[in-house]
Amino acid sequence: MNTQTLFKLLGTLALYLFLQIFIVRNLIFFDVAFCFVYISIILFLPSNIPVSRVLLIAFITGIIVDMFYNTAGLHASASLLIGYLRIYIIKILFPTKGLESDLVISLDGIGMERFIRYILILTFIHHFYLFFLEAGSVKFFLNTSLKVIASVLFTSVVTFLLHVYFKSLQNS
Amino acid sequence: MSQLFGIFYKARHFFMFLFLQTTCFYLISKNSVYWDVTFFNSTNAVVAQSMKTSQEVKEFINLGEVNDQLALENKSLREELTTSRELVALKEVGYKPDSAMAGRFNFLVAKVINSTENLADNYITLDKGSDDGIVPGMGVICPQGVVGQVMSCNEKYSRVSSILHSKLSVSSEILNGTLRKEGKTALGIGKWQGANSKIIKLNTVDRFKPVRKGDSVVTSMQNSIFPPKIMVGIISKVSAVPSEAFFDINVRLSTDFSSLVYVYVVNNKLLNKQSQVEAKPIN
Repeated sequence: MNTQTLFKLLGTLALYLFLQIFIVRNLIFFDVAFCFVYISIILFLPSNIPVSRVLLIAFITGIIVDMFYNTAGLHASASLLIGYLRIYIIKILFPTKGLESDLVISLDGIGMERFIRYILILTFIHHFYLFFLEAGSVKFFLNTSLKVIASVLFTSVVTFLLHVYFKSLQNS
Repeated sequence: MSQLFGIFYKARHFFMFLFLQTTCFYLISKNSVYWDVTFFNSTNAVVAQSMKTSQEVKEFINLGEVNDQLALENKSLREELTTSRELVALKEVGYKPDSAMAGRFNFLVAKVINSTENLADNYITLDKGSDDGIVPGMGVICPQGVVGQVMSCNEKYSRVSSILHSKLSVSSEILNGTLRKEGKTALGIGKWQGANSKIIKLNTVDRFKPVRKGDSVVTSMQNSIFPPKIMVGIISKVSAVPSEAFFDINVRLSTDFSSLVYVYVVNNKLLNKQSQVEAKPIN
């Protein structure tokens, strides 16, 4: 990892965390649709980063979000999970036969359809795990499921749009 | 042995994942048991500071709504206050307050949408009209003191002639310790002279009442449009011409007409009854 990627990474981290903590935290639709846009940090990490670093980044991101949400460990745990599963999802979704490290995870890199599928799957895993862990039981199964579905839709749309927007900012 | 290490090495990511995940679960369990995980909660100085900033921004955005709520709350508090004042104040004299009489005033919150203060006759426009139950003749007050009287209204808006109007006068009373001790009241009529938008004149206060500069002037009990004891202002100058029976008193108004936002329109429910009995000829 050279200095440039490091700075880029830190920039993304700061940007998404700022968005999450100061803006999106206050955006809750109908008490069910939450937005956890910070998972973009983990979703769009370059695919050639070693798994151990992905896990560390996911853990740090989650802990910072936890501090602001007053939920010690919850978000860290959920983002660790997607950080760990990420590489397997990539392998399943994009069978590149050992060339995973050359894959660029972006709209231009993998095409619209697969890109959306990738976002949806990881967001779903994250939210499902997060909300059921938060609920602590399956007692409010319907309510929690509703939360999961609404939030997955909300987060995915926001994640997708922000990604496209930031890419276009970079290109211009 | 080396094969064993080889297996461990292959699964090192998984072990790291497990280790971090365990940390998370430790934090989660600790958080639910002791509410003060000092580092990871928002008691942390940096987190608390940024949360505070974010909250302040939110508060600023919501100020309008908060104002509305406060105005409503004030309205209900004011209703209670006028009622309890009348119920309590005169008990010692032997006067038996009647709850219908004491609760005869209710209030309606309205917003000022236009106002003047420098003309010869000044008016204020409110965003509530006859649809909300306002009729001409009702009194208007604000948190600082009296404002005026409703002059005309249509369905949506109403026009209030403020105290700064040549035709409007307020029956007022001077309050101070000496007067209270002697059991006297000093009643007068407050009227604007047209020159200074901060000062009104108080006439017909006779010269033998102990009145000093700095005493407060409130609306009197003999007043059908304003509730009693609503602040009018503070005496800024008392002078007496030897040949006259009355003081010449200047009162500095407590209401700042240039910064009015919310006002309360006063509805006297018993006003009809009062004018009915007052209009009857004496036989």
